[in-house]
Formats: sequence, C-alpha cells, structure tokens
Amino acid sequence: MTIPANLKYTKEHEWVRVEGDCAIFGISDHAQEALGDIVFVELPEIGRTLEAGEAYAVVESVKAVSDVYAPVAGEVIEVNEALEGEPELVNSEAYGAGWIAKVKMSGADSVELMSDDEYTLFLEE
Amino acid sequence: MTELAKTPLFDQHVALGGKIVPFAGFEMPVQYKSGALREYTAVREGGAGIFDISHMGQVRVTGSGALAFLQYVTTNDVSKLIPGQVHYSALLNAGGTFIDDITTYKISDTEYYLCINAANRHKDVAHLQAEAKAFAVSVVDESDDTTLLALQGAASQAALQPMVNSELESIGYYKFARVQVNGVDAIVSRTGYTGEDGFEIYIPNSIAISVWKTLLVHGAEPIGLAARDMLRTEMGYALYGHEISDAVTPVEAKLMWITKLDKGDFIGKTAVEARRAAGPERRLIALKLTERGIPREHYKVFVDGVESGEVTSGMHSPLAGGVALAYVQPEHADNGDLSVEIRGKLVAAERTTLPFVRSNVRR
Repeated sequence: MTIPANLKYTKEHEWVRVEGDCAIFGISDHAQEALGDIVFVELPEIGRTLEAGEAYAVVESVKAVSDVYAPVAGEVIEVNEALEGEPELVNSEAYGAGWIAKVKMSGADSVELMSDDEYTLFLEE
Repeated sequence: MTELAKTPLFDQHVALGGKIVPFAGFEMPVQYKSGALREYTAVREGGAGIFDISHMGQVRVTGSGALAFLQYVTTNDVSKLIPGQVHYSALLNAGGTFIDDITTYKISDTEYYLCINAANRHKDVAHLQAEAKAFAVSVVDESDDTTLLALQGAASQAALQPMVNSELESIGYYKFARVQVNGVDAIVSRTGYTGEDGFEIYIPNSIAISVWKTLLVHGAEPIGLAARDMLRTEMGYALYGHEISDAVTPVEAKLMWITKLDKGDFIGKTAVEARRAAGPERRLIALKLTERGIPREHYKVFVDGVESGEVTSGMHSPLAGGVALAYVQPEHADNGDLSVEIRGKLVAAERTTLPFVRSNVRR
C-alpha cells in the first residue's frame, strides 16, 4: 500500500493535492483496496460549489456504493472524465490517473487533514 | 446472534486471501486476492472456476413412498425424472408462496436427493419431516456431512476428468452420475448457476480439502460470492430472498415452468391456480439501462414517471452494462417508458429478454 508524502489525507480515506489556489481530489490506495473492483464513478458537475466534507462523487464497486467527500471547500472546475469509460483507474492509479475532481478553493475551509505519516498511523490504529 | 458456521474449506479460503463475510449463517469468501472481476472473467471466458457452496443443504429422501411424497411437496413433476436426472423445482406453502427453490436428483424409484438453500435449510427440513409423516419415506438432512463444490467454465471438464473414475463426457446437461472422485464415492452433476458448462460435485467432508487443492492444481481458480452473484444475475436466474420469497408465487416469479398443475395434488397448488386465474399481483421483468448507471437491489422502478416496483437483483455486467431483474405492476410488464431511480434521479431503461448474456451451458 502506498501513501505518497506530497498529499494530505482525510479520515474518510480521500487524498487532496493543493496546487496554488486549486486542489485535486481522489481516494487513497487503502480506500480503493477496501472497495475492490470499481465499476462506476459518478462525477460532480462542473461549477458545483462544494463545502468541506460534502459528498461530491460516488464510486461503485461490484458490491458496494460509496460516497466520496470533499476534503476542502471550493468550486468544481474540472472532473476526470476518463473515469466514465475506465473507472478501474481508481484501482490501478489511485493517486494519478484515478483522480476524481479539481476545485478552485474558496477560503481555508477544510475537514481535518493528515500528513502521510499521520495517515499511516491512522490506518494502523 | 448465533455463531457463524464454517465450511470444511474455510482455512483454504483464508490461505488464498479470501475476504470473509457473513452469508446465510456461514463465514464465506466474497472474493479472493485477484478480485471479483477477474474471477468472473475466468469463468465467463474459457477458464474454470471453483466455488465452495458447502453452505447449501442436502436432504436424502428414501422409501417406497418417495415419489408420492416428492410429488406432494415439490412443484415439478417428479414422475418425469429418470434415474441420473436432475430438475429444478420448488417447495411451496399452502398459500402458494415459496418456502425454497431446490434441485431434485433421482437416484432410483425409492431414493432421491435434494439440494436446498443454506438460509432455508432448517425451515425446509422441518417442513419436509413434518409432511413425511403421512408417507412411507424417510427424510435425512445430510448437509453437515457433505461438501458441495461447483466447478464452472468451459475448462471444467478437463480440470475434473483426471480425478474421476468414469467418463464425464457421458453426463448430459441436468444429468448426474455416482462416481468416485479421488477414489471416494461422490455425485457429479452437469448443473450450475453461471450459464457456463460445468459441474456440481457432492463429496464427503473428509476429502473436501484434497479435492479442492487438486482442482486448483488442475488450473481452476477459486471464485467468491461476488463473482457468483454476477454470473447468476447475468443469466437471470432467480435467487431466494430476491426474486423469490414467501411473498410471491410461481405466477409472479415466472416459474410456472417448474410448477406442473396437471400432475396431481401438491402443497400450494390450489393457491397457485387461484392466483393464476386472478392474475399476478406483480410481474418480474428484465431491464437494461440505456443511460450510465448501475441498478441495484431495492432501487425503485418507474413506468411513465410513476413508481411501479423495485429491483430485486441488479449489477454492472461487463458484457451487457447496467442490468436488473425487477418486479413491476402487472400492467407495466410490457408497456410504458421504464426508468430506475438512482440517487434521486430517474435513469432511462428498456425491457430486455433473458439471459442478459449468452448462455454457454451444454444442452
């Protein structure tokens, strides 16, 4: 299981990467492994305003339907449309090609975020 | 909460990386290391998959009254079976609704073997033993002594043949033979729940692990509950607790083909006849989404924008997309624009025919 050092993590097993005033969201390697084969991703609409902690996407595995929550507040400016045809990218490249959405951050509002080390400890608990 | 049971193969499942979940009172593998999709593909695309379905129950019915008894307690016409033949059937209650769906194996005129659902086992056995009192018959629950493996997929026969002392080629679809597997008496039937060629193998618990391991050596891949459910849903096969239950009769469930009203009296017959005359309360349909999405169990089905029923089994089929079985109001079974409510949105669907995916069983 990988936990890159350049990302922040949430207790709901999402990751967020901040780039200037934008943030990119996805789910962690731990999350994709726990869900199993992902067969469908419902993406948010461009322009939607998200509050921190708001459910903004849905990932469906063979057996389960799971909400995905926004780590930080912002407006959706881009979504990973590749996931509509290849939802399995969330499994195979959770931190790369399996990203879900990009937002323009609105202020500093966020859920509790963890560093890679803190998330590693969180998973061990 | 009663403790969950384990099959004789539990440790094998754990050793193979099986993700264990509670299912019908047992701890069973929902998938192994490679994941449900790869397991599904192994069975559907030319390989062989091995499923531990030992949680299912087996009941032996013996005695001079065996035929008369089974004619009375099951829906299909047992007089049509020849020794070595299996058929799909059901146990109904007096109200005509399902106690269980079963398979009946005819060993001889005085000996039959029933395979029943795990979750219904104790209910079924109690029912059968109560009804047996009026017949010259004995009903013995052999579930705890029996391991049942399903071996499914085009490569099944090649994987199993080296372990069996007779020619599997001679066993036709829905036929069985009493053979030796790894030198021990067993029943092998050309039956299954996947729409692929394959076998169901009844063996004593004592050889469960050796047979399992030998099949793995012969190239069979272990398959969990998730892939099993995908394979059966693609065929549109009914599953107790989903399409059939004690709330529906064979008239609703499209199972009149196993309910022989012309064979003489049987439990539930009068109620089924009355329901057929009055018309079904709802009807089972097969649907396919025409937009993106996955229809899942209990999602509401709408016809012309009005709620009509709900999904009983649904999935994302790698071959057919979002497909489902659903009950709708009888007047909506053939007419009206279909949609499925997914997270508050109506997603368009169309009626389709079963199976959702081509069956490769050997007819």
